[in-house]
Amino acid sequence: MDNKIDTGDSYVIEGKLALPYTYFAGRVGSTFITTIRDKHKIMGVKCNTCDKVFVPPRQTCERCLEDIRENWVELGNTGEVVNFTVVRYEDKHLPRKVPFVLALIHLDGADTPMVHILDGVDPEEVKIGMKVQAVFAEKTTHTILDIDHFAPV
Amino acid sequence: MSEYYGIKVEDIFNSMKDRFRPEGAAGINHSFGYEIKNTGKWKLTVADGTMELETADDVSDCDVVLNTDGETFVGLSIGKVDAMSALTSRKLKIQGDFNTFGLTSRIFQKYMTPGQETRQEQELLTLKKTISVKQRFATGPVFGKFLKGLKDKKILAIKCPECGRLQTPPREACAICRVRNNEWVEVGPNGEMRMMEYCYYASPDPLTGETRETPYGAIGILLDGCKDEEVFWHLLNPEQLDRVKMGSVINGKVTHGSRLRPVWNENRTGSIEDIRYFEIDE
Amino acid sequence: MGYRKKNRNVGIVGIGETKFSSHREDVNQPEMIHEAVRQALDDAGLKIDEIDCVVHGNMELFEMVHQPDMWHTLGSGAFGRDSFRLTTGGTTGGTLVCAADNLVASGMYDVVMAVGFEKLQEGHTTGGITNMADPLWARKLQSGALTAQAANKLIDEFGAERARKAAMIYRIIMDKHAGLNPNSHRAFGLDWDQMDDLIENSPPLIGDLRLIHMCSQSDGACVIIFASEEKAKKIAKTPVWVRDHITVHREETLDLHNNYYPNRTTHRFAAQQLYARNGIDNPLEYFDVFEMYDPSAWWGVDWLREFFLLEGDEHLKLVENKEIMIDGKMPINPSGGVIAANPIGATAIVRTAEAAKQVRGDAGPHQIPKPVNHALTSSFGGTMWTVLTMLEKDLDW
Repeated sequence: MDNKIDTGDSYVIEGKLALPYTYFAGRVGSTFITTIRDKHKIMGVKCNTCDKVFVPPRQTCERCLEDIRENWVELGNTGEVVNFTVVRYEDKHLPRKVPFVLALIHLDGADTPMVHILDGVDPEEVKIGMKVQAVFAEKTTHTILDIDHFAPV
Repeated sequence: MSEYYGIKVEDIFNSMKDRFRPEGAAGINHSFGYEIKNTGKWKLTVADGTMELETADDVSDCDVVLNTDGETFVGLSIGKVDAMSALTSRKLKIQGDFNTFGLTSRIFQKYMTPGQETRQEQELLTLKKTISVKQRFATGPVFGKFLKGLKDKKILAIKCPECGRLQTPPREACAICRVRNNEWVEVGPNGEMRMMEYCYYASPDPLTGETRETPYGAIGILLDGCKDEEVFWHLLNPEQLDRVKMGSVINGKVTHGSRLRPVWNENRTGSIEDIRYFEIDE
Repeated sequence: MGYRKKNRNVGIVGIGETKFSSHREDVNQPEMIHEAVRQALDDAGLKIDEIDCVVHGNMELFEMVHQPDMWHTLGSGAFGRDSFRLTTGGTTGGTLVCAADNLVASGMYDVVMAVGFEKLQEGHTTGGITNMADPLWARKLQSGALTAQAANKLIDEFGAERARKAAMIYRIIMDKHAGLNPNSHRAFGLDWDQMDDLIENSPPLIGDLRLIHMCSQSDGACVIIFASEEKAKKIAKTPVWVRDHITVHREETLDLHNNYYPNRTTHRFAAQQLYARNGIDNPLEYFDVFEMYDPSAWWGVDWLREFFLLEGDEHLKLVENKEIMIDGKMPINPSGGVIAANPIGATAIVRTAEAAKQVRGDAGPHQIPKPVNHALTSSFGGTMWTVLTMLEKDLDW
């Protein structure tokens, strides 16, 4: 069989995929965001069996599958950077102009770190172990960006 | 008077003035007729941010007329009945444009029973987004050759060396015989109507997010030179939807459909758009 | 075909199903899935630690989120255990059953949980389906999953009056079944005196396919737990045995408009192979229930002929004589079927879940009044995929 394929007729057509969608946060997720928005408080949920406080909160404990939706725990608005990355490439879906820092922040009272934007500090100056606190947004978007960013204490 | 969910049909109408939202009615100029079975008829006129409601003997001159029974009407008004379900089961009938009737949800605040306003419902958040990603599709040599043919007003089919069937648009291989297709044959461009999807409902084109005009006809054409299943998929001139005759083959008995010819676009780029649509060849 | 008998027997030991509805603002995706997972675990009397592997599936592009299997671990229980993701369009749920069955039969795992879900309210179903079509040609022409081709065929072959009537009888029967099923999304309370009005006046979608004929767009999840014979007998009082399953499909989307609509051939081909290798000569006599993936009333009527290998107008007679009702000769979809509830990634696994409940005898208000020993289920997806599954009450084949 002749395996040579003439590619002279191959070309590229530009296309686009554009479709609308909606995401429902559910009761637990909505409580989390509206509490941040209205009370400037960050809430987690605790699994008593596994003795872990999760943030963002979830309805069930991923480990033991226990229903933990009622076990709300108020966390501090302060925490510690446990890891971070500096975003240096520009893309329209990103929440900030580059360069900016995305950090994993271990909030006081929580057992799981939460990812958010770290601002108010030169990217080159960010260090693991740095103490940071939440800075709440002036305008709500009804999303996690109702915490505008975290900044060094 | 009958009550449904503890509410009378009249309660809904009598409270309309109080529930009216001038800001929601801005830019809406329509008359809405309501025919509630065994209860009565009402005519609602909304214009320039004002409303007027009257009982009427005849509402057939309204822009849209809603026809339903008391239970469904009250259920719709308080959110117990889903409009789409009621429409599907024909408990709710609408003469005129369904979407126009949907405007009333902007014009009025929802009906609430006394005391309901103070009950605290949790605010449930939703996030609305549109995903929009640029894509690039490689035609490959076979589809590319076919699309380039359209530029020259030629419809090319590819032939299976084993079973001889023609495919257009072409595929690199015959999936039935599992061999590479290797021979090109020019077919059509005229042919005969086989079957049509007479589309009253249009979905958004995922390439653009735009919704096309309805009705339209997506058709299968048996191009000259093709046989049996070798049907070509395109659109029909929307003016001719009701004039075209479908063909068929049932148990070997052939019924011929209308003769069709392609209408080519002036600017051809090597895409499906090079043929605007097919029309009756007369 | 490379078909070999199973390495070991596999039984269904736990079933969970959410209520299906047009929207679920109160739960996010993992929370909705968890409702079905919790039910299935409770039904089986198992703890999540006793599940060896989780198989997860839904339809790509319907919620516009990606890798849902990963972030659904919060609800699925897949945290820290083996897990696979499957997506085969409408057949996803059927493929989940096949995969879970194979994973247990092979001896790889003793207990496997299959999770199917969809939250159609979150995405754009018709847009999503259209987006699967060939981008250079068919995307411009395909009208989602809506098509009047089955209607055209039936009308061509049997005349408009008889065909339209049959489709509407089928539709009303499905609605009556849905009215019995507490989980169904839509039950309108349709009755026979509405036949003519619905045939004439239901809003048209495409050709003779009207709004009333078409399936719903639903939110919901369904979970089935499968176990090896040895374990199944310990876990469940009445395990339901998965006797066999088959998957048949053919090429792509460009052939949709050919004259011999190809899904007819994949359905019939699949049925022929399955019955032949299981020694079933008369499927209509053999099976006690058929849970069919019927996306519209027209397809439902048309496909009966293919799945039961009927000829001429035998399938129409089944419908016209109401033999497909819950108390008829061959009950079709006592659950109400896909027209009553269609959370797409869950829809096909619901067919097997519902059939298994019928075999166990605990389906609830829509339990078939006579004993159910042999059940057949089907799945359907674009591009002309067919999955058939056979369930048995007794291990005696």
